[in-house]
Amino acid sequence: MKVYLPFASNELKRQMAYKGAFYLFLFISLFGSFISYYLWKAVYGSANSTTIGGLTQQEMIIYVFMTYVTSSMVTISLADWVSEDVVKGLVAMNLIKPIDYRMSLIWRAGGQMLYRFLMPGVFVWIGLEFYKHYALGMPFVKFTTVLCFLCSASMSFLLYVLFDFCFGMIAFFTTYIFGMLMAKEALLSFLMGQLIPLSMFPGWAQKIFEFLPFPSMVYTPVMIYLGKYQRSELVFALGRQFIWIVLLYALGSVVWNRVTKRLVVLGG
Amino acid sequence: MMIEVSHISKSFVSPKKYPGLKGAIKGLFSTEKIEKKAVDDISFSIKEGEIVGYIGSNGAGKSTTIKMMTGILSPTEGNCLVNGVDPNKKRKENAKNIGVVFGQRTQLWWDLPLSESFTILKEIYDVCDEDYAERMEFLNRVLELQEFFDRPVRTLSLGQRMRADLGAALLHNPRVLYLDEPTIGLDLVVKENIREAIKEINAKYKTTVILTTHDIGDIEELCSRIIIIDQGKKIYDGSLQKLKDLYGAKRTVSMEVRNYNQKKLANLWETLGVKEEDYETEYDKEQRILSVAFDKNKIHVPEILTAVMSQMEVKDVQIEETQLEDIVKQIYHSGVK
Amino acid sequence: MRTCKRYMRLYRVLITQFLKGIMQSKVDFLMGLLGFFFTQFMGIAFLYLVFRQVPSLQGWTLEQLIFIYGFAQIPRGIDHLLTDNIWLIAWRMVLSGDFDRYMLRPMNLFFQVIAEKLQPDALGELLVGGILLVISLQKGIVIVDGVHMVLFFVSVMAGALIYTAIKLFFASLSFWVKISGPFLQTAYEMADFAKYPTEIYHRAIRFVITWIIPFAFVAYLPASFFLKAEVSPGIIGIECIMAVVLFSIAYVVFTIGTRRYESAGN
Repeated sequence: MKVYLPFASNELKRQMAYKGAFYLFLFISLFGSFISYYLWKAVYGSANSTTIGGLTQQEMIIYVFMTYVTSSMVTISLADWVSEDVVKGLVAMNLIKPIDYRMSLIWRAGGQMLYRFLMPGVFVWIGLEFYKHYALGMPFVKFTTVLCFLCSASMSFLLYVLFDFCFGMIAFFTTYIFGMLMAKEALLSFLMGQLIPLSMFPGWAQKIFEFLPFPSMVYTPVMIYLGKYQRSELVFALGRQFIWIVLLYALGSVVWNRVTKRLVVLGG
Repeated sequence: MMIEVSHISKSFVSPKKYPGLKGAIKGLFSTEKIEKKAVDDISFSIKEGEIVGYIGSNGAGKSTTIKMMTGILSPTEGNCLVNGVDPNKKRKENAKNIGVVFGQRTQLWWDLPLSESFTILKEIYDVCDEDYAERMEFLNRVLELQEFFDRPVRTLSLGQRMRADLGAALLHNPRVLYLDEPTIGLDLVVKENIREAIKEINAKYKTTVILTTHDIGDIEELCSRIIIIDQGKKIYDGSLQKLKDLYGAKRTVSMEVRNYNQKKLANLWETLGVKEEDYETEYDKEQRILSVAFDKNKIHVPEILTAVMSQMEVKDVQIEETQLEDIVKQIYHSGVK
Repeated sequence: MRTCKRYMRLYRVLITQFLKGIMQSKVDFLMGLLGFFFTQFMGIAFLYLVFRQVPSLQGWTLEQLIFIYGFAQIPRGIDHLLTDNIWLIAWRMVLSGDFDRYMLRPMNLFFQVIAEKLQPDALGELLVGGILLVISLQKGIVIVDGVHMVLFFVSVMAGALIYTAIKLFFASLSFWVKISGPFLQTAYEMADFAKYPTEIYHRAIRFVITWIIPFAFVAYLPASFFLKAEVSPGIIGIECIMAVVLFSIAYVVFTIGTRRYESAGN
């Protein structure tokens, strides 16, 4: 733990160093969320019923902004770093050091996650709560819900980075991973519910999602935040996240072992 | 004059950085700036065909000066003229007159075969077919480019790459050639080849060469004149010979000794009639090595040896000429005499 | 004239080299193509999902939105194909000092930047755009006559120039802040939102994407001209003016930026 802490704090410092970029980034990234907010508003305006995919318009607004808060914390692309390290030949270097490569990446991602949570995550979140209370006339979120959300979002983060680590292993087999990363991002933003609530997919697609880890990455914590899960459902949702973490951790270990064996044989 | 640099200065402004994680947070809200003067009021002029060594320690401002002369950076104050052109105002015109080699970074197209890089450069510098043929013939002879002419640049060894870069910088027959550490990381044979090539180019085309280097060998072999800068200021400008005359009289004798005795030794110098400012002794306890630095015009090696040997057992002796490097170091330390 | 010819000749040499390079790495090329194709495909899937819930969006049908989407890909793809190297200025060339090498050559800096690279990935966008365009033509929702056909090409070119201008502007900020990648990235991503009819947005936002970072002029606005007979061809005229003005601004900022370029090592 002590060994890996610097990975997190270095990343945090690195992020903060780009001060000028930071303020504008904050502004424009929020601007993007506002636009999708208007898109949904128009959709609700043109729809015949007040709920779409089980969400009211108010809930959809919360969905849009909480998806932003959650995915900005969760979607930290380890695969970018892995492919960078592979290109520079740094992975073999890492094998010599008495640290676990995957752990160092996860801690680094943790640093970035913390940064993104502080800036702008928390501010958007608080802003949303005030908007909800004063403009939409809804009660503030319950403390227990916040706890459940944070717990779920942390697991989402782990789930995402563990998955992304496995994905990053592709970098060992092709020199041009950029296209794959793009395809991944596009597909995931869809499957995680970042682009559109999963409840709007056709029934057969939703059935398939039950067996995939992706809904657990963004959709689950946001639905928890919206209070869409009752007691047993909540436990089930959190449990499912946990199981996916274990499975992806195991998968990552297997793949990593294969890759390092190859690395030792071929050099890298 | 080929190059005229007058009162040129360059400062860089950067936001203040604070240490640690707390510092990083503080930095987010701070607007404090630090101004650093990389080059501070430097002037010199260089004649056509001269080879000038531009030396100084890391961060002294060498590269910054070169970058201003090539038009990459614009000076904060002052100006320079290269072949009558102000590189800052007429970048493109100046670029036609100059060739640049940065030892650390190639100007060539990484993934293309070297031959293609030359084809592109021919177009960029608008070199006509006859000139191109003549120049390539010369460059091939001096730099032996044909060995690797068809290979992609990324597959070249450092020495080959440097030859290729030098050739690329010379294709359009520039009036001035800037070389920023051209021999860094090269082995002795390649270094020698590169130096020979530079000499030959200078002789044949009267190319003015400005060279920054940490390799004193480059300077001793190539430069008739050197300019030394330190902390952005010019501290020496003159011939290499003059510098050597001023500082080069120093020599060092290193002796591995037993039963070292400082007191006895001090008495000895007195009996020899040597003044204290003419020598400097240093004793390394671990290695048992006694080094005496002295002025060769005032003391002779045998005198020192006899003196020391009369007092203690000497196992091994080594005599060193003072290196130009030491001279430069000495100048950084105590300024110019 | 002579200079112009020289630039053309050089561009041809550089591009030929680049194409040779692509031919040597077909797998990378296909992967990149696939990546972009996939991203575009997701955009269409999103539209389908939205239209499962509503029959039309403020009077626009799914077919029409798909045309707008496809139309938007074409100028985007052209710009992407030709000027992708601008991204590198934003992300690292200024910081690392790699921009030095352009400064050392007796040619226009902007030309050197864009001539260094063609981005074959862009063919993914052009492919999607082309396919959607063909589908829309088959469905008969697009107006086809002489004026519209000529203005189609004009609009696509002006749109590509708007893209280039926005990229160049934000990339040039790196001369002040060293890395302007995040700015460029966010600005560039805003293009996605001009793929929907802009009347759905609040006035202020509509103003921004129409006049400040005018992606509306690359996608939705000209596309509506090809869909609806009542839209005046003047919209294409304004698009062209926007393109020229914007590019001029970006080019001036770029030029000022290169003068205060600090290289690396300080």
